[in-house]
Order: sequence, then C-alpha cells, then structure tokens
Amino acid sequence: MNPEEKVYHERFMREAIAMAELALKSDETPVGCVFVKGGEVIGRGMNETNRTLNGTRHAEFVALAGILSTMPISTLKETDLYVTVEPCVMCASMLRQYGIRAVYFGCWNERFGGTGGVLNIHSDPSVDKPYPVHGGIFREEAIMLLRKFYVQENEKAPEPKQKKTRELKTEILPMDIHAPKSTPSPSLV
Amino acid sequence: MGADNAIPSGQLVPLRTKDEVRASLETHRVYVVEIPARFANTVKDVIQAAIPGFKTAEISHLRRVVQFKYLPAHLQKQFYPPARLQRGDEDTSPISLSPCSTPLPPSPTGDVEIIEEANTEDEDIVRFFVLCPTRFIQHAELFALLRRNPPFTNIPVPPKLLYVTVPALAPTSAEQATMWSETYWPIAYKNTNPYGPHPSLVLRNTIEIESEVHKWLAVAAEAGSEIAALGLGEKIGCVVVDRTRGTSEVIAVAGDCRWRSPSGATEAHLGRGNVMAHSVQRAIAMVAKKRLRMAGADPALLDRSLFCDIPLTDVEKPYWETENIPASGYLCVDLDIYMTHEPCVMCSMAILHSRFRRCIFGTRMPLTGGMTADTIGTLANPGKGLQHGMFWRPSELNWKFLAWEWQSKEKDAEASVKDILHV
Repeated sequence: MNPEEKVYHERFMREAIAMAELALKSDETPVGCVFVKGGEVIGRGMNETNRTLNGTRHAEFVALAGILSTMPISTLKETDLYVTVEPCVMCASMLRQYGIRAVYFGCWNERFGGTGGVLNIHSDPSVDKPYPVHGGIFREEAIMLLRKFYVQENEKAPEPKQKKTRELKTEILPMDIHAPKSTPSPSLV
Repeated sequence: MGADNAIPSGQLVPLRTKDEVRASLETHRVYVVEIPARFANTVKDVIQAAIPGFKTAEISHLRRVVQFKYLPAHLQKQFYPPARLQRGDEDTSPISLSPCSTPLPPSPTGDVEIIEEANTEDEDIVRFFVLCPTRFIQHAELFALLRRNPPFTNIPVPPKLLYVTVPALAPTSAEQATMWSETYWPIAYKNTNPYGPHPSLVLRNTIEIESEVHKWLAVAAEAGSEIAALGLGEKIGCVVVDRTRGTSEVIAVAGDCRWRSPSGATEAHLGRGNVMAHSVQRAIAMVAKKRLRMAGADPALLDRSLFCDIPLTDVEKPYWETENIPASGYLCVDLDIYMTHEPCVMCSMAILHSRFRRCIFGTRMPLTGGMTADTIGTLANPGKGLQHGMFWRPSELNWKFLAWEWQSKEKDAEASVKDILHV
C-alpha cells in the first residue's frame, strides 16, 4: 500500500472507529463500520446486539439495512467496507452474497473471523464471486476499544464473569493477538 | 396447516462433524514388525528412545501387539505364513486362515499398549507389532535400528518390516471400530468421540425430538409456501421451538423474504435479493423482538424495514402474537430451529451466534449450505458440499450445537428451490 493509498484508507477507517466509539458509549461491543462508494461514505453502522437482544445485529447488518433502504443492491458491487474488526463468518458470507467489492479492517477476530481470522469465507469455494480483504489498518486502536469494553460489565450475558476485577492492558505486542491464521488473498480487483 | 394429515416417512440423521469426516477418511501407513511376544516391551522402548518426536498417543487407537489370528483377513493372506523366529517351532499347529477373525476383548485402559492374553500358550509365537507411522523414520534406518537391538541381536533371522495402512485418527463409534478392525487393523474403541458429540448424547436428543420433526418441518414448509405465494420470497421457511419445559412451544415461524422491497412490495427476482431477509435471520429477529416485548421494551427498537422481522403471513402471525417466551432468556439459548433447507453460511453462523441448542433441516444445499461437513451431496449434486460443518467446530468457533438432516422418503423434498440459492 503506497502512502497515498494509506491516507485514503485511514481516512475511512477513522470514521469506522468513530462508530465503534459510539457503540462503546452505548454499551455495545465496540465495532463500527462505514461503506464507501466513489470516495464517499454511503452508510454507517455499529454493533447493536445488546439493545436489540439479537446476536446478529452486527455493524455491517445495521449499516446495510440503512443503505439498501434507498439504494439498489447492485450499488454494493462498487462499494468497499471499512470495519474496525474483521467481519465474522456470518457477515463475511453476507457481504459475499451481496457482492461487496473489497473489505478493509482493523484487527483480526480469532474467535469467529470470516476473512482470515478463523475461516476464509471471502475466498473459499462458493457460487459467489470472492472479494479481496486487507487487514491491520489502525489495528491497535480497534483492539484497545474491544479491551475497554471487556473490562466493562456485560449485563446481558448469563453468569457474568468477574469483569470488575479485570485490568485494562494497554500494551499491544506487534502481532500478539488477532493475528491471522492464514490470509490468502484472492487474485482479483 | 397440513401438518398432521401427512404420515411422517423419513429418518432423522445426525450430521457428521468436520473432524468426524476427517477422522473417517484419513489413513496413513505404519511399520509393523514380526517379533516374539516377550520382546514387545523391549522393541517399544527401542523405538521410543530412537524417535523422541513420535508420541504413542498418536497410535493409541491401534492395538500395538497383535496375534496373527486377530489380523484382518487381507493381512492374514498377505503375511501368511507368520514367521517362526525361534528354533524348534516347526510342529506348532498350523494357523487357519479363518475368514472371520475373533474379536478382541475390550481395551482395558488408555495407555496400556501391550495387550496380551493370560493364557498365551507359547510366548515365542510371533506377534505383529506396530512400530510407528512411516513418516517418522526411513525404512533402512529403522531396519538397522531393529537389527542392532534384541531380539534381532540374538536370532539369525533379520527383521521383516511390513507396511500397513491404518486410520490416522481414533474411531468415533463402536461400529466404526469394528469395521476398521476388519478392514485395516485391530482397533481399540474407548467409548468416547473426540471429534463430535458423544453418541449417547446424540441418541438421547434424537429420541426426544424425532416424533415431532415431521410436524415442525411441515410448518416450516407452510411458511415458505405462503411467503412464496405472496411473491415476497422463496419456498423456504423455518420454525423456532422451545422444548425446555417438556412440551414444545413454537416461539417463531418465518418464511424467506428476499424479494420484498424496503417499502414492502414485491421485487423482481434478480440476483440474490435481500440477503438479510433469509428466513433464519427473520426468525432470530422475531425471537429477539418477542423478548423485548415480554420485557416491556419497545419491540420496534432500532427496527429497519430491510430486516423484515414483522410477521407477514397467516402462519407467522399467531406464533408471533403468543406470549410464550421468558423475557430473561439470552439470545436463542435452549431453543431449537427447524428449517426446510440447509442454511447458508451466513445463516449457519447466525444460528451459532444466537446459541441455538439444536438444528434440524430438510434438504441439503451442497453448493451453498454451511452445516454439512461431508460431501455426500444430493441427487442433483452428488459428491458436493462446502464442508464447513459449522455446528461443531469447538476448537475454532465459540459455540457448538447438535444438528440433523431429515432424510425424507417423499420425493418432492428436493428441487423445491434452485441449487445455487442461499437458504
């Protein structure tokens, strides 16, 4: 990624992080995203699983529900996603079915990541066109937001663990966690 | 609803997990050598010392020391006659090539490797000893190693190294162990399933739900038919059932809604449609909204028309209105989901995210489905499958649940939707 591209992508990842910060303030898992077409943000989303009691209300779903209420699905073929945490397996499949152009993300998700963290739903054999992914943009910030959330109490989860006794770790090793198990990049776009 | 007049003709078949599929397919070759029984421990120690990287746990599902008569028939033919390593054994009665090998007694414990019978009449009769998988050592090196250690330092016969193909992983059922013992090598089954749910757990759950499967799948099909008749979706549907209180309560019924526009109109059936309105997504959202309602919160909180999570057909509405779910529940913990078709990867993961307890579907979707791990496929797509096996991958994903397919004997089950469709 050349410096000019870096500036371009970081601009939108900054907007995704702003959405994640909003999620954190709303007691939601701090994951945020923006969808970008032709250099313009066409939709924003943040995780809403806690308030809706619905474990599928991820930032990508929320943003797309807004975008597709006014724009045709075909718009997504020229649209890129910027999301603070790697899309989960569910979202990775949803994005592929919709025909997203490319995905840029912050940190990897080693628990249920769908674009390299655990599975490779973006590039695995499928009836849908694969899409390229690029991870690691403002990775440290994305991880810090998640850590801030996990030291808070998550009242909705059954039998909450002793989270008050947890400490916020601030040290992030170069690739300590959320490192990809494999990142095959599909040869297209 | 047409649920009760049809006679259930079909079978509830537990899905195989990804690891079970792998365990049932993977074989490799091991070295076997003929040695007198009393040298088994000696040879074991020699191998252990020479190949520290080889852990015997890797072959703990194989009987390490086997008498000729317990070998599978094809190996008896291949290895006949068994060697006579000691002098003066010529008059031992000939070993018959019996077609059915005598089954071995059950394995005592995990790490006892040398299985010997108390009444072994002649310690010098040859035993077939599993040395190690072939990838650990070259033939020539192993040969030389055995040659300079007992018993081959004492007897004039050189070691005879044999190659045997064996299952690489432990069996997942007693039946599989028996079958493998006949086709590969005598196998020890430890009454556990390291690669999936324990067989007794699966059986108990199968018995609990099997009498109702047909009924719920019929409701799911009805949901698909009604929504398709409105032109809003494909003939796909699902039913969410709570069976924690002994009897079944239907919590939500949803049909596919991919062809419904944001304003509620029917859209042209082009492309994939609204992916977020697959029946599973709708049903999960309805469960969540029902909980919000029971908790006194506004079920329309953060609602968006694209999610299509309000009831739209006659079969969906009554179940939506019934107040039969505790507000305190978490996601879809303890709930079961019945689907007309195997869910796509997105919906399979949505089921996993929602912490469902059990998942049952009618028709496999080998080109798009996320639940099956094998490549059995369908009549239209034999030998196909994405092999994700999402329901049981505990080492990679953060939830697991039981999953079955309903193998219907009624022929209309297949081809109700196009095979490239995501359910």
